[in-house]
Amino acid sequence: MMKMKKSVLSKRIAVVVLILLSAAFPYLGFSPYYLHLVTLSLIWIIMTEGLNIIQGFTGYVSIAQASFFGIGAYASSLFVLKLGWTFWASLPVVLIIVAIAGLIVGYPSLRTQGHYFSIMTLAFCMVLWLLMLTLHNLTGGEEGISQIPPPEAIFGIDFTNRVNLYYLILIVTLITIFIIYRIKNSKVGRAMETIRENEQLAQAIGISLVRYKTLAFVISAMFGGLAGCFFAPYMRFINPSTFGADYSMNAILAIIMGGSGTIGGPIIGSFVMNFLPEYLRVVESLRMVIYGLLLVLITIFMPQGILGVVKQVSAFVMKKVTKPKDTDTDTKKTVA
Amino acid sequence: MFGELTQQILNGLVMGSYYILIAVGLSIVFGVLSIPHFAHGSVVMVGGYVTFIFVNKLGVPFILAMLISMILCAAFGILLERSAYRPVRNAPPINAFIVALGLVMIIDNLMTSIFGANQVIIKSPFKSTYTIGSAHVTSLRLFMIGACVVLVAALIIFMKYTKLGKAVRATSQNREASLIVGINTNVVTAIVFGLGSAFGAVAGSLIGALFAVYPTMGTFITQKGFAVLILGGLGSIPGAIVGGLIIGLTENLGSMFISSEYKDVFAFLIMIIILIFKPSGLFGGKGK
Repeated sequence: MMKMKKSVLSKRIAVVVLILLSAAFPYLGFSPYYLHLVTLSLIWIIMTEGLNIIQGFTGYVSIAQASFFGIGAYASSLFVLKLGWTFWASLPVVLIIVAIAGLIVGYPSLRTQGHYFSIMTLAFCMVLWLLMLTLHNLTGGEEGISQIPPPEAIFGIDFTNRVNLYYLILIVTLITIFIIYRIKNSKVGRAMETIRENEQLAQAIGISLVRYKTLAFVISAMFGGLAGCFFAPYMRFINPSTFGADYSMNAILAIIMGGSGTIGGPIIGSFVMNFLPEYLRVVESLRMVIYGLLLVLITIFMPQGILGVVKQVSAFVMKKVTKPKDTDTDTKKTVA
Repeated sequence: MFGELTQQILNGLVMGSYYILIAVGLSIVFGVLSIPHFAHGSVVMVGGYVTFIFVNKLGVPFILAMLISMILCAAFGILLERSAYRPVRNAPPINAFIVALGLVMIIDNLMTSIFGANQVIIKSPFKSTYTIGSAHVTSLRLFMIGACVVLVAALIIFMKYTKLGKAVRATSQNREASLIVGINTNVVTAIVFGLGSAFGAVAGSLIGALFAVYPTMGTFITQKGFAVLILGGLGSIPGAIVGGLIIGLTENLGSMFISSEYKDVFAFLIMIIILIFKPSGLFGGKGK
């Protein structure tokens, strides 16, 4: 049998355990409210893993992700409610629409860099948010769209059942994570990471900056839209309040908190972002104050995110564990 | 029609002055320290509330209250930099962004729990109305334009001709080199944050008398401020002036000719359009 590196083995075990745990979750006896929070976190994972491609891999922090999330949610609901399409038929069309929107936002924005890029995407986010708020005929304005039906049954699985819907979203989330994982370890992913590390170098070795940056942005947008497609029928109700710049910022935060540019980071961050505000309800009136304080402290003291801290701690522990061995060989050498 | 037009242009100039006061503060902070000071809008809001307390609750004259507010906000701005931005100075730029957002949450929600979510209006001593041609303008609005012109002119003179102003400009060009030639960059940082926040306090006090202040106003102010800034070119004071006027006028003329509902869309759209043709803004350098 081939010898597998310890860290790879433990990683694989962790992945299998996590998948089994999430599959068994509805039967572990938690209240429906927890099922709701976990489902929301899963939708968030789809959105943030997507954002991770442009933010984490390519190094361009986009503040427009919530807009694509919103475009996905609105487009999907409108196809179903106004045109009478099935959810499944609308899904690919919505993804194409979001990709086009991503191209429209991404192409001019990506001509800029750094803060300029972030603020340019912020401007697009504001414009799209204001449009969602003001195009009453289409989006219903502030009241939004309600009574969005759940996805139609496939293979006789009824998605009006919340547990079944949870499994559907879990499967989509797992597929998303798998795709992002494959992208990260592909030629395209490495090209993106080269752009993040050194744009001039990337250009010098023949990586087309425009092509890869635009590709990264569009893929990001599409996963944002995909998350929106499932958010709308899951919540049954959408309005502009969840598609504004503050939501984009929260998505960025989730990635930074978890660990930027990693696969696990957005997963951890999404759960933290959805559960932390709930746990802070204990201190109701000062909830958001403490939340803000935590953000500031985490950013100052844990710039690598939670995953970074875990890695550092485990590296430290491993060092402690393996250290006696090292000194052993050292003494042997000196004896010899 | 013509009367309406002059009226809207006047209103545009008033709003433009307001945006300039905010954007100039953001601009010097960004230009000198490269900090995307997203909590600036919250400082503006706090400035408005300080003036509100002194004028409405303690009966202090408006101008004096505004001066007190400027001093307190300057101290507040310096405190924010020391406690929150300085620790992430050497981290990736997005970390300063996140810290700023955390600050916004802290400040806005603290203010909400102290003052409630409702808006308050500062009592204004400027009551008289003037008629220029067929347009009407209150003296408060004229005071807004005047305050903006005087303060920005003072800032430009300070930056151009005083030793400290030169130190600030040197730091913005090259921080390490200014340290080598003996400029105390900590003093420069304090000056930049102090001045920026004091300008913000003026904007907050005047908008509080003109319209109202409320705890969550900060985010939108900052976003508008950054739109102005990016439009003019990050870190450029002339850019902030021209950008502020463009956005103020577009908003008012746009709402006159098209629809007031899309007022805020215009501001961001014009910014996007200009950036498509000049990615670094009107007065910007390389756009990095």
